[in-house]
Amino acid sequence: MSTSAPVVETARQRPSVAGWGLWRFVTQNFYVRRLFKALVTVWVVSTIIFFLIRLLPGNPVEQYISRLIETQGMDYENARMQAAALFAIDLDAPLWVQYGEYLGNLLSGNLGVSITSPGTPVTAMIGRFLPWTLFSVGVGLILSFTLGILLGLMMAYRREGVLDHVLTILASIVSSVPNYLLGILLVVWLGVQWKVLPIAQMRGTMSPGVVPAFTFAFVYDALYHAFLPIFTYVLTTMGNWMLSMKGSTVGTLGEDFVTVARARGLNDWRITTAYVGRNAALPLFTQLTIAIGFVVGGSFLIETIFQYQGIGYVLGSAIAQRDYPVMQGVFLVITMSVILANLLADFLYGWLDPRIKVS
Amino acid sequence: MVQSTVGRPAGDRHPDKPPLSLQNVHVSYATRRGKVQAVRNVSVDLHAGESLALIGESGSGKSTLGLAIVRLLPETARIEPGVITYRRKDREVDVLKLSRSEMRAFRWSDCAMVFQAALNAFNPVLKVWAQALDTAQAHGWHDKPAIRRRLVELLEFVQLDPKRVIDAYPHELSGGMRQRVLLALALLLNPQVLILDEPTTALDIITQRTIIKLLRQLKQEDHFTMIFISHDLAIAAELADRVATMYAGRIVELGTSDDIFYRPRHPYTLGLIRAVPTVTGGFEQLFSIPGSPPDLVKLPSGCKFHPRCTFATERCQQEEPELELVGAEHSAACWNWREVQAELQRNPLHRGALNVLDGIGSEVEGS
Ligand SMILES: Nc1ncnc2c1ncn2[C@@H]1O[C@H](COP(=O)(O)OP(=O)(O)O)[C@@H](O)[C@H]1O
Ligand code: SF4
Ligand SMILES: [Mg+2]
Repeated sequence: MSTSAPVVETARQRPSVAGWGLWRFVTQNFYVRRLFKALVTVWVVSTIIFFLIRLLPGNPVEQYISRLIETQGMDYENARMQAAALFAIDLDAPLWVQYGEYLGNLLSGNLGVSITSPGTPVTAMIGRFLPWTLFSVGVGLILSFTLGILLGLMMAYRREGVLDHVLTILASIVSSVPNYLLGILLVVWLGVQWKVLPIAQMRGTMSPGVVPAFTFAFVYDALYHAFLPIFTYVLTTMGNWMLSMKGSTVGTLGEDFVTVARARGLNDWRITTAYVGRNAALPLFTQLTIAIGFVVGGSFLIETIFQYQGIGYVLGSAIAQRDYPVMQGVFLVITMSVILANLLADFLYGWLDPRIKVS
Repeated sequence: MVQSTVGRPAGDRHPDKPPLSLQNVHVSYATRRGKVQAVRNVSVDLHAGESLALIGESGSGKSTLGLAIVRLLPETARIEPGVITYRRKDREVDVLKLSRSEMRAFRWSDCAMVFQAALNAFNPVLKVWAQALDTAQAHGWHDKPAIRRRLVELLEFVQLDPKRVIDAYPHELSGGMRQRVLLALALLLNPQVLILDEPTTALDIITQRTIIKLLRQLKQEDHFTMIFISHDLAIAAELADRVATMYAGRIVELGTSDDIFYRPRHPYTLGLIRAVPTVTGGFEQLFSIPGSPPDLVKLPSGCKFHPRCTFATERCQQEEPELELVGAEHSAACWNWREVQAELQRNPLHRGALNVLDGIGSEVEGS
């Protein structure tokens, strides 16, 4: 049989040697574009915060000035000077100059000084309290995500079984309880009524006398104090991960490539992890990064309830005491964390799902 | 070239013992409405090196039969009763009695199935190479350079550029390319039996030709025993040594390609052939089988084809005919097959239909 010269086809999206440079440019462009978008968002949000604080009727600067006049009997000029120092702005300059200075201060990390703890720069407060929030929220999210994915996968494999039904009901219940409510219930039941946990002793982020260092004693102590916030995050967010993962896995199990993988004789473990699990978990990673962003912002009720001194706790007391520079700083941090989390989502997804880079 | 690189040594063959025998195979699906009898009483021997085409309207149970052989049916399906025997060299296995791990080993290395929907046949997050490696390693083959050499050879055989394809993700390949990669992967472990379920459906005509040409090449080496599922008669005629017509889950006619396409004895096969459109138009003589396939939950009495059959008589409504010999290697399940024969003498098969069958063959030959 005469075979004609083989017609060799090349992959569609793959570049020829000449197109290689162009292709790389586009890939880089993907990341550059996302980064640029994130920077623009940060800028827009800081600008909004600036104008909210300065231009709205009853704005914090004016309020602070009148409070100084009322409570401390200061004259307007002095009160105004003190306010300018605290907020790190020059109130006499034209608005656009103020705005320029504000942006300059932001870039150099100057967020002003706290009103309630005079002399403490806002950035220093953030530097001190934010790590605790990142630690507790981070551990909580990793735990609930991992557990949720494993349980969701298991539910999908045993769907319509007893285990699946029980877990589905439990997951729906716990995921509909707001985290602050669960926090209050935990304090009331475990700490006050049944006295299972020494709630008062567990408050704070560290026991007195413990020094932060990479020692077992410190890690243990940190986990001991963070236990209740972490437990609350895990319990209130795990249900959603379980249900999302179950749905996603049931969908993936019906995909042709899973049947073909079985036809190819792959073993169940390989199919469950690399074929079903990985594809089913893909859409959840986007949700995870978004959750990171929001949990930092939402941590403030939990941290206030458990008296856990993280950034949310700081925000809670700043709101209670009208410490505007601190509030402004924390809002910026929350915005940044949402934006960073989204950026992470884009990058992570591009790395986990090869199909993303093309579009 | 193909013979030496893709096939297995010819000594592997046992001409007297069919590599695959189906005896009395039944498959049913449990559904809300009741038991769907998708395959009923199928018995057929596949001889070494032959290719058998399963033809029939969609819903006649072709895919179900294919999936039953590799036991990849959904959990709602039951293969009962039935015996599927597989033979390779001195080994003889009862496929339906294999344990989980034996079944896993049997799949792909003894019997590979290329699916209808090759578009989604690959894990979207793994490169072609990783998926080939997975396949080899699942069967205890860990020599990476050797696996790679074999894959390159097979990708060249299916006329793809290995350099480009091996490190590509599935979404970077077109539908036709994916189908060919799957075909290459199916040959990776030298399976004895190859089941191809509508391998060309959903592909454009040019790609279809390429695939048909490749399958012809495979067929010409008689190391592969192929089951070729298609509702496209022209392609079946092109690729099959023997043809089985399926209707309502049963094989109603079985014979050589020539017997089936030139001397059909079952009214349903005749109807299928007369329904093949001609390339040069001629819509006026286009025939279609009246009615629609029966409800597989509530099958009609007697011959399942009788509500649609122009040859039906009183007896057809009462008794279901079994396959009986109507020629040397040709059998049909019809009480009135002699009437069909007589009808063909009065009204020979239209040249148009035959031209299509001949035409495709020669076109592919020449390409
Ligand atoms: N998972 C299933 N559950 C219930 N019925 C099914 C299922 N798969 C196929 N069937 C039914 O079995 C019959 C045969 O289907 P199939 O083997 O796919 O036919 P073909 O491949 O010839 O088109 C059809 O009537 C179809 O509706
Ligand atoms: S047995 Fe009767 S109904 Fe069935 S195909 Fe033959 S003639 Fe038609
Ligand atoms: Mg089918």
